[in-house]
Amino acid sequence: MKLATWLAAAIMSAALLGCGRGMEDTRTELVVQRFFGACEAQYGAVDDPAEAEGECGIMTALINRFERENPDIRVVENIVFWPGYDQLTAQLASNDAPDLVTMHGSVISDYQARGLLEPLLATDLAAIGAPPERLTEAARAAVTIDRRIWGLPIDTWAPLWHINMNLFREAGLVRDGQPVLPRSREELIAQAEQFKARTGKPYFVQSTANEYAAFTRNFYTSVMQQDGVLYPEPRRADFTTDEARRALALFREIHDRRLTTINQDYSAAVAGFINGQGGVFPVGTWMVGDFHGESQSRGRPLSGGYAVMPFPQLFPNRNVTFADGHVWVMPADSERSPEERQAAMRFLAFFARHQFDWARTGHLPVFRDVIDSREWRALPHRDALAPLAETAVPLPKGVRRQFPIETIVGQESAAAISGAKPIDQALADMERRVNEILSQL
Amino acid sequence: MAIDAPARARRRPAGWANALFVLPYLIVFVAMIVVPLAMGMWLSTTKSDLFGVEAQVGFANFTRLARDPIFLETVWNTFYFVLLTVPALTLIGLGLALVLNRPARWASVLRTIFFVSTVLSVTVVTLVWQLVFTPDGGLIAVAAEALGGSPVAFLNDQDLAMPAIAVTTIWWCIGLPMVLFLAALQQVPRDLYEAARLDNASRWKTLTRITLPSIRRTFLLVVIIEIILQFQLFGQPQLMTRGGPNNATRPIVLFIYETGWRQWELGYAAAAAQVLFAMILIAAMAQYFVASRKDDR
Repeated sequence: MKLATWLAAAIMSAALLGCGRGMEDTRTELVVQRFFGACEAQYGAVDDPAEAEGECGIMTALINRFERENPDIRVVENIVFWPGYDQLTAQLASNDAPDLVTMHGSVISDYQARGLLEPLLATDLAAIGAPPERLTEAARAAVTIDRRIWGLPIDTWAPLWHINMNLFREAGLVRDGQPVLPRSREELIAQAEQFKARTGKPYFVQSTANEYAAFTRNFYTSVMQQDGVLYPEPRRADFTTDEARRALALFREIHDRRLTTINQDYSAAVAGFINGQGGVFPVGTWMVGDFHGESQSRGRPLSGGYAVMPFPQLFPNRNVTFADGHVWVMPADSERSPEERQAAMRFLAFFARHQFDWARTGHLPVFRDVIDSREWRALPHRDALAPLAETAVPLPKGVRRQFPIETIVGQESAAAISGAKPIDQALADMERRVNEILSQL
Repeated sequence: MAIDAPARARRRPAGWANALFVLPYLIVFVAMIVVPLAMGMWLSTTKSDLFGVEAQVGFANFTRLARDPIFLETVWNTFYFVLLTVPALTLIGLGLALVLNRPARWASVLRTIFFVSTVLSVTVVTLVWQLVFTPDGGLIAVAAEALGGSPVAFLNDQDLAMPAIAVTTIWWCIGLPMVLFLAALQQVPRDLYEAARLDNASRWKTLTRITLPSIRRTFLLVVIIEIILQFQLFGQPQLMTRGGPNNATRPIVLFIYETGWRQWELGYAAAAAQVLFAMILIAAMAQYFVASRKDDR
């Protein structure tokens, strides 16, 4: 009896081992880590990016497509909660680096400075079809440090003015079918007052609660439009300037005159704009697809009445908009095999080839030829956004810790604009806090 | 009382052998608590990030903390939050336990209802309360408008944001003190209450002379547990206000997280963690010694 039991166990173990061997996956593994959300339930089976919408949908469909076209590569997809840098930092500290990671251009220098990223060589860039001369100025700036390229940029984003044309028409701010946008601070206040008087609604819908990035984008753009220098040196911020004061004063006036919605968090502001609570929602390129989709629905406040424009030039010196972008970077990993590196390169080449598909999200393409293409220009509103290829400017690459600095700039801007602090005090605090971080590098 | 030498010699080996029973726990305790604590103390004297130590800086991180207005604000915010929540949690927990300490069916249903919030995750709790507090169609805003008032932006108001987080926390955490008090109340000998009734003691007198003295050790336990827990406030402001508006809800743990992970200043964050550790230790010990003295008297 005992012998029979042992025999049976041995046979079963052998059978199981045999099964395991038979199912062993010999494909090259490619670990891809990304943000943009999880939407497997909706797009898990979609591998045609044209059938997907939004960042999450298009990214999911693109990766599905890559897997279908490259059956010899097994893609392991880690979807991280936005922005995922805490997780990535922990992974890198424990030598558990993914092969490719999505990263904001503004964050690259933090990881690059610690030797945690692998640069893309000229031969790599040529092989994946992304030579530097093909990139827009903003995209090239986003990935270039010390004359080396540290990733494949996949888009450039910038704050835009999303406009409810139905309310703009009611306010008398439409001419020849185009929204009339301000060309100075004075015009902005006058038009916003006119809008409020005629529609009974605030000109702006803004996300001002539990959210700081929007404050930072407005502040940086307004200072840059005055030719102000935010970071005279990579390790020194200068915010106690007239340009910075004027930037905050403008948004404080908008707040004090109640020309904006107040106390809305991001979700409430998005819902508010969709529901026609105000005329202009200053938010990034990523919302173009959603708002355009909403404008195609019937019986909605945005129905047939949505336009989107780059951040208008409110100060006379320079037509410029603060920008950032998303990049695929390759964390350094001494244990990565040549096959795994090759698989990563094929993935990057795939993304370079599908730049148009990704640009359907609303983000600006990173290749000049895609921006100039008829196909891209034919997408809704893209003609109006094309000038961003020239006017979108990221912060200098030498400035590190841009991610926490963005939060501090936003916090202090919010305090000044809401009246919690005098503007001068907020700017002094902002400068002190940011310089404290930079001094520790 | 003197023990003869041969007896002492016989007992010593037995004592050491007994210590082996606690060895497994001791190993885990040392590995998971003592070693990380020591490493944290060492890290607090360095300039470092997650990828290595750049330099030994002695107490520079602590002197920098003492001059950092944001950190000092977080210390105040943390104390303020503890003051708002610990007495409330203790007193409300005690009150609920007193009311629900009876064998009736409705009492057991209510005990379950009051405890059930404790099992929810911080994400769910903060989401629910954001929907309560939001001025855009939130529960309180709708009620205020129905009564002719105007909505209040609790989470975006410098003075109201921390009380709003405190209310959320009290709702979330009330189950534990209630259950601890209930357990203690059920240990009070019934004959004491019978004697009180025979003596015609009023309810108030019964409460203050029998019930509260009988559960004073649990009272102390609840206060110490809640002090330790509430000093570690993190998830609620991280999810509801991100420390704002104007730093009004940034507690020390959020400061530690932002400094260590966002700013990559691990040494500085470790120094802030040591300060928090000292604060919790002092507060809990002070409470313990005050209560112990009363006991002795």
